[in-house]
Amino acid sequence: MTAEILDQVSLRSVVTGIPQDALSGLRRHALDSFAKHGFPSTREEDWHYTSLGIAAEISNDWLQGSAGEDVPEHAASAPTDTGIDADWIVVTDGGIDRQALSLLNERLSDGVSILPLSALSSLPDLYIDDSIASFNAALLRDGILVRVAPGVSIERPIGFAILDQAHSSPAVSQVRIVIETGQGAAASFVYVDRSGGGPKRFSTSVVELLLGPDSAIDFLRLQERAESHVHTSQFRASLDAGAVLQHGAIDVGGRLVRNDVHVKLAGPRARASLCGAYFADGQQHVDNHLFADHLVGPAESRQDYRGIAAGRARCIFNGKAVVRPHAGGTDAVQSNHNLLLSENAEIDTKPELEIYADDVKCAHGATVGQLDEKSVFYLRSRGLGRDEAILLLTRAFAANVLGTLPIPAARQYVDRLVERKLDSMIGGSGA
Amino acid sequence: MKKLLEIDNLVAGIGDTRILNGLSLTVGSGEVHAIMGPNGSGKSTLAQIIAGHDAYTVTSGTVTFCGRNLLDLAPEERAREGIFLGFQYPVEIPGVNNAYLLKAALNARLKHEGKKEIDAFEFMKIAREKMSLLDMDPGFLNRGVNEGFSGGEKKRNEILQMAMLEPRLAILDETDSGLDIDALKAVAKGVNSLRHPDRSIVLVTHYQRLLDYIEPDHVHVLSKGRIVRSGDKSLATELEEKGYDWIREAASA
Repeated sequence: MTAEILDQVSLRSVVTGIPQDALSGLRRHALDSFAKHGFPSTREEDWHYTSLGIAAEISNDWLQGSAGEDVPEHAASAPTDTGIDADWIVVTDGGIDRQALSLLNERLSDGVSILPLSALSSLPDLYIDDSIASFNAALLRDGILVRVAPGVSIERPIGFAILDQAHSSPAVSQVRIVIETGQGAAASFVYVDRSGGGPKRFSTSVVELLLGPDSAIDFLRLQERAESHVHTSQFRASLDAGAVLQHGAIDVGGRLVRNDVHVKLAGPRARASLCGAYFADGQQHVDNHLFADHLVGPAESRQDYRGIAAGRARCIFNGKAVVRPHAGGTDAVQSNHNLLLSENAEIDTKPELEIYADDVKCAHGATVGQLDEKSVFYLRSRGLGRDEAILLLTRAFAANVLGTLPIPAARQYVDRLVERKLDSMIGGSGA
Repeated sequence: MKKLLEIDNLVAGIGDTRILNGLSLTVGSGEVHAIMGPNGSGKSTLAQIIAGHDAYTVTSGTVTFCGRNLLDLAPEERAREGIFLGFQYPVEIPGVNNAYLLKAALNARLKHEGKKEIDAFEFMKIAREKMSLLDMDPGFLNRGVNEGFSGGEKKRNEILQMAMLEPRLAILDETDSGLDIDALKAVAKGVNSLRHPDRSIVLVTHYQRLLDYIEPDHVHVLSKGRIVRSGDKSLATELEEKGYDWIREAASA
C-alpha cells in the first residue's frame, strides 16, 4: 500500500464508525481487501493511461456524510426531464429511499422484486475483488437487488437515477446494483448518472448482472456528470446458456471517467452486444475498457464504440476478447472508430484478441481520423456555415452507433443529450 | 446585358504551382457559357476558386460578382449570395440525409435574403416536383447524401440541388463526365429547364457532346490557365473536329 494515496487509518476509522447494519460485515471485509490493493497505479497495464490521482486527495472531509446507511435529507426527484418512460429508482448521494423502493416493489408485477441490500437476510455474493470494487463496498451506504423471476418479462424499463447533489465540500459516493434474471426472463434498464456542480467528487459504481438461461437484459447507461468530477463505473455481467445482453453507454460528462465493462459468456449460445459512444472536450479524460470473456462456445460478442474528442480531451479505448480453450465456435467482433476535432485532442485505442480455441470467428478494427475536408467544403458550398457543416458530419459519425443502442424509450433523450454536447464541443470553446 | 460575374486577369494556383495565368472572363445575366479545354488547362481550378475552395491561392487579379469582391467571401457566403458549384466528383456523406441537406441549404439561402424559412411540408412538395423533372425516385431524399449513388445519380443529385437552390450563377464542373446517354439527356433537360434571364450558367467540359444538349451562348477555350479563344457555339464544333492540339498551337504561336 502506497503511503501517498488514501490514508488507510482514516478510511478504517470512517468505515468502523458507520453504525452497525446489515452491510457492516461486507464493509469490513471489503476494507480488508482494499487495504491489500490500494488504488490502481499507472504502472498497471490496465491503468496505463488513466491516473486516479484524485484518490491522493481524498481525506476525512470527503468521507464525512458520504458513508453509512442514512439517506440524505433532501432526496432528489426522478429525472422526468429526460422524458423517458420508466419506473425510476432514485439514488441520492449513494443513499436509497427505502420507502420509495418498497412502494415501487409493491406496484411492480409479482415476478419482480426490488430490494435494498440492507434489507436482505443474506447478501448475494458481491464482487469486491479489485481495488475500486472493494473501495465501493467498504463505503457503501446501501445497494439495490433486482430479481426477475423465471419466465417473467417486464415491459416498461426500470430506471436508475443516480443523482449526486451539489455539495459545499468534496465528497465521495458509491452505487452498487445487482440484477438477476431467472430462466427465460426479460427486462430492460436505463441508468442515468448525474451530478450537481461544485467541488471535487469521486464516485464509483458497480453494477453486477447474472443472466439466467435464455433470459434477456437491455441496459443503457447515460453518464452526464459535472465536468469537475471523477467517476469510475464497472459493469460486470455473466451470461448463462442462451442469454442475451445488450449493453449501451453514452458518456458526455465528467472530468475523468473510467468505465469497465466485463462480460463473461459462461453458457453456449449466449450473446452480448456492447455498444457505446463517448464525447469529450475541454480537459475531459474518458477511458473505456471492455472485456468479453468467452468461456464456452458457440457464443457471440460484439463491441462497437465510437468516440469524438475536441479541445484538449483525451479518450482511451481498450477492447479485449479472450477465447478460452473450450470456447470453440466463438464469434467475436470488435470495432472502435474515433474522430478528432482538434489538434490537441488525443485518442488511444487498442483492440485485443486472445484466442486459445480452434474454429473461431474473430475480427477487430480501430480507426482514429479527422473530418474529411472535402465533405466540409461540399456542405459549405451549399450555404452551410463551417460550424454547422462540422456539426452535421460529426453527428453523422456518431449516429452510426447511436442507432444501435438498446432501449427505444430513451432514444429521443439520447439524441438530445448528444446534440447538446456536440453543440458545446463544436460551437463553443470546446473545439 | 448586365454583368453578373467579372474575372479580371486572375493568377492563382496551389502552393508554388501556378494554374491560372491571367484569366479574364465576363458572364452576363441569363447567359450560358461553356468553358472547354484539355486536361490540366485549369478548368476545375477556376470552378473551385469561384466557389471558394481554400486550397487555392489567388496571387493577383479580381473576381467580381454582382459588383462585390467575391474573393473576400467564405464559401458559404458565396452560396448564400447565389453561387452554385456542381461538383465534378460529388462527395458521399453517409449519415447526412439528402433531404436534410437540401432543406438546410435552402433555408440558409432564404435566411440570408431575410425571407421566412421553408416548412417541412412545403419543402417536400417542391422537392418532389423538382425530382420528377429530373426523373429521380423520391426515395433518394431519404438516403445519405450521394451514399452509394451511381455516377449518373450523383450528377442528377447535383442538378436537383441546383434546381432547389435556384442560384444566380451555376458553375457545372464536368457534369457530363461518366454519364451514359440517358443520364446525360436527363441532366441536360434539368439544366435547360433552369435557364432563366436572371440565372447564368457556366458549363465546364472537356467534350463537345454536352453542348449538343445544352446550347451555350458563348464558348471559351482554356489553355495553360488562360482563355485563348472565345466564340459562339460553332467554336465547340470546330474544336471537336480539330482537337485541342490546334488550340495549343494557336496559343503558343
